[in-house]
Amino acid sequence: MGFRVMGFRRWVQAVCLVVFLFMLATGDRLINADLFARMDPALTGVAAIAGRTLAWAFLPALIVALSALLIGRAFCGYICPMGTTIDAADAAIKPKKRRKNPPPKIFRPGLKTIIVFFLSGAAAAGVSLVFWASPLSLITRFYGTVIYPVAWLLADRGILLFYPVFDLLDIRGLMFLEVEPRRFAANFFVFLLFVAIFAAARYAPRFWCRYICPAGGILALLSKKPLIRRQVDENCDQCGKCSENCPMGAIPDTNAAACRHDECLACKTCETSCHRDAIRFSLSGEDITFREVPEAPASPGRRRFLVSGIAGAGTAAVGMTGLMAVPSADAEGRVLAPRLIRPPGALPDPDFLQLCVRCGQCMAACPTNTLQPTWFAAGVTGMFSPAVIPARNYCDPRCRACGNVCPTGAILKMTPAQRVWAKTGTAVIYRQRCIAWEYEKSCMVCDEVCPYEAVEFEEKEDLPYPVPRVIEDRCAGCGYCEHYCPVENDAAIVVTPMNALRLSRPEYREEGAMRGYELSLRADAGKFDPDELAYPGAEPDAYPPADDPENGMAPGFDTGYN
Amino acid sequence: MKPISRRAFLKYKLTSAAWIAGASMLFPQRAMAESTPDIAVIKGDPEAAVRKAVDMLGGMKAFVKSGDRVVIKPNMSFASGPASAANTHPEVVRTIAAMCLDADARRVLVLDNPLAPAEQCLEQSGIRDACRDLDQDMVHMVSSSGRFTEVTIEGAQTLSKTDVMREVLNADVLIAAPVAKSHAGAGVSLSMKGMMGLIYNRRIMHRLDLHTAIADLASLLTADLTVIDATRVLSTGGPGGPGKVLTPDTIIASRDMVAADAYAISAFEWYGRSYSPDQVKHVRLAHERGLGRMDIENLSVQKRFV
Repeated sequence: MGFRVMGFRRWVQAVCLVVFLFMLATGDRLINADLFARMDPALTGVAAIAGRTLAWAFLPALIVALSALLIGRAFCGYICPMGTTIDAADAAIKPKKRRKNPPPKIFRPGLKTIIVFFLSGAAAAGVSLVFWASPLSLITRFYGTVIYPVAWLLADRGILLFYPVFDLLDIRGLMFLEVEPRRFAANFFVFLLFVAIFAAARYAPRFWCRYICPAGGILALLSKKPLIRRQVDENCDQCGKCSENCPMGAIPDTNAAACRHDECLACKTCETSCHRDAIRFSLSGEDITFREVPEAPASPGRRRFLVSGIAGAGTAAVGMTGLMAVPSADAEGRVLAPRLIRPPGALPDPDFLQLCVRCGQCMAACPTNTLQPTWFAAGVTGMFSPAVIPARNYCDPRCRACGNVCPTGAILKMTPAQRVWAKTGTAVIYRQRCIAWEYEKSCMVCDEVCPYEAVEFEEKEDLPYPVPRVIEDRCAGCGYCEHYCPVENDAAIVVTPMNALRLSRPEYREEGAMRGYELSLRADAGKFDPDELAYPGAEPDAYPPADDPENGMAPGFDTGYN
Repeated sequence: MKPISRRAFLKYKLTSAAWIAGASMLFPQRAMAESTPDIAVIKGDPEAAVRKAVDMLGGMKAFVKSGDRVVIKPNMSFASGPASAANTHPEVVRTIAAMCLDADARRVLVLDNPLAPAEQCLEQSGIRDACRDLDQDMVHMVSSSGRFTEVTIEGAQTLSKTDVMREVLNADVLIAAPVAKSHAGAGVSLSMKGMMGLIYNRRIMHRLDLHTAIADLASLLTADLTVIDATRVLSTGGPGGPGKVLTPDTIIASRDMVAADAYAISAFEWYGRSYSPDQVKHVRLAHERGLGRMDIENLSVQKRFV
C-alpha cells in the first residue's frame, strides 16, 4: 500500500517533468510551451507587479496559489520541474550522512518568505529581479540553455558516428537528420549556479525548496492550515522515523505528531515510513498537530516583511540609477550596447524588462539559436534578457516562436502578416570592411540573402564591381545580411537597433506604414502553387522592362576577350 | 534472366560508347553531330524536354550504370515557387530523378545547402513534393558542419581546399540541374556556380576571387551530366529575384558543364542585352583550363521541339 502511494508521486513527478521537457523542446510547434512557467506564482506575481498588468495568462499561477489553501505545497511536491530535478539530484548525490552541522543560520524556512517580499518590493518599484530566484525561470533556463544544448551536441555526434551504418543501410531519415548543436551565452554561469543548488543536498534534501524558493514561499504563506493535510492519530508511538525521513524537515524530532504544514509537500514519505500506520493525509479530523510550533514560522513578523520589501525597493532604485537602465522608451541619454537587438515583438522599454522573467523559453524555442541571453549589455537589471545576435544566425521573418512561448507577454504574439512588419532594427554597411567597397572583389551575398530586398547594388565608376547600399525603409533588421556576410568576426553589414518597432500592441503594419516603411518578403512574389507545378506560372510581362541596354554591363559580366 | 540480358545490353552500350568516344577524337565534331550532339537544346513541356534532351545525349544509361549512387544538384535554396525562377522547376528535377531510377540507380539523392531555412525551401520550391512519388526520402538539405568532408583541390588557382557533402563524395554520378538565372556577383548562376551548394564554406569564395574560385570548384565537382532548366530564366535580379522572368520553355543538356553554361549565356538576354560566353569570367577560366569548352560555335548543337 505504502509503496504504491510512493510510486504515485514519483509517477506524477516524472510525467510532469517529461511534459515540461517535451514542451520546452518543441517550442511553439505543437502547443505553446509556456504553461509551466505560468504556473509559477512567484514568476507571474512579480511580473504582474513589476509590469502593472494582470492577464488571463496568469490564471494557472492563481490556481496553483489557491490550491495551497486546499492541499498545501503539493505543487512543489508533485508538479514543479525544479523540485523534481532537485529530488533527482538529491537521489543521485545522496550524501552518506547529511552534514552534522546545520547550514548557516541565514538558511531558515522564513528566508524564502523574506525573498518573496524583497522581490515584491523591487517589483513595486518597477524592477523585476525574479529571474534570480523563480524556480520556473531558473529551471527553464537550465534545461533550455544548458542541458538541451549538451544533449543535442551528443545526439549530433552520435548520428555522425553511426553515419556509415545509416549510409550502408540507406536509412535516409537518419543519414540526413541534422541536430545543429546550439550554443548559448552565459550558459556556464547557469551551470555553476545549478551545481551549487544541487550540492546543497549535502546540508539537506530539497535545500532550495526549503529555504530559498520564492514560489515555495508564496505557497507556504497560503498553506498554514490547508484543508487536506497531515493528520496523526493516537497510534503514534513517537518513534521519530517520519521526522527522520521528511525531506522538508517539516516534522520536529521532538514531536512526531506535529507538522509544519506550510513546509509539507504532501509527499507522504512519512505515511509510508510509519510502522504503526498512524499518519493520514485527509480532509477532516481532529487536528492535533499544530499546537506546538517547533521553530520560527515561515512567515517572519510584519517588521521583517516591511524591511525586506523596502530593501527590495532600495535595490531596485540602485538598479534604476545604473547607467544602462532605460527609464522610458525615448529617454534622453540612452546608453545601450550599440547592437543590442531585441526579439521581434519585444515590448517597449522599460516594460519589456519589467515583464521579462528571463526564463529563456524564447531562446530554447528560437529555431535559429539567434536569441541569446544578454550578459551586461543591458545593465545589471537586464541580465539574461533575450537579444538577437545576427552573427550567430538570422531572425527568420516568418518565425513567431519567441512571442508564442513567452509566458508573460514581454514578447508579443502576432499574426504572420504583422510579423513581417515587426522591424527589429536597421542594417548598416561599414564600407571600410566591405568586400565590394574596400577589397574591390565581387561580393553580393547581402543582396542574395536579404529576404526583404532591402539591399541594392549599384555600379560605381572607380570600382570594379557593383557595391551594396541598404534601402533603410525596406530593411526589417532580420540579420540575414550580417549573418552571411563573408567578412570575418565583425561583419561589414550589421544590424543596429535603429528604428526598431517596439510597440505595446502588435500593430506593426499600421505603425510601420505610418513611418514610411515598406516591408514585404520577396518570396511572396513567387509563392509556390501546386496547381502550377506542371507549367511555369510566370508571366513575362508582369515585371518591369529590362534596364536600358545602353546603360552599362549586366552585373557580374565583363568585356570578355574584347 | 532479365538482369543478365540487361548487363549484356549495357556491355554492348559501353563498348559502342567507347568506340564513339575514340572515333570523335579522330574525326571532326561534325561527323558525329547527328548521333550524339555536344549540346542538346529542347523546347517544350518540361518533362518531355528533359527526356528528349537526355535521350539525345545517349540516354540516361550512358551516364548512370546499374547500382550507381546518383546525386542531383538543383537550385532549391530560396523559399519561393517556380514562378520566381530562383529555383529549378520541380518537374525538371523529378524527371531527371525518374530517369536515373529507370536506369537502375541504386540511390538517387537531390541535395542542396540552402541559405534560407531548409524546411521553407523544401516546401516552397515544390521539389520535395514533386519527387515524393518516386521516393519518399529523396530530397534533402545538408547544412551542418559535421556532414562535410575536407577535400584538397588539385591544381587550384585560389580555392586550395573545401568541405564537400559526404554523399557527393560517395556518389558515382553527379548531375547538375540548375535553373538559368542571372547573378549579381558571378554574372550568371548555372551549373558551375551551382556547385557552391554542395560545399560548406561558401563565404570564403567571396573573399577570394569569386570567378577563379568557381572554376576551381568546378574542377573538383565536375558534373557528369548537366541539365540546365531554362523553362524560365531569371534574366535580371538574380540569384534571388524578383526580376524579369523569361519563359523560353527550354532545356539545355550536355556532358560538358562549361558548354552547357556557355550555351545558356549566349542563348538568353541578361539585363536586356546579349552576351558571349567569354564575358563571364568563370566560364572563360574553365575553358582556358580545359575543364570544358565554351566555343559553342565549334560544338555540335542540336535543337528540337517536343
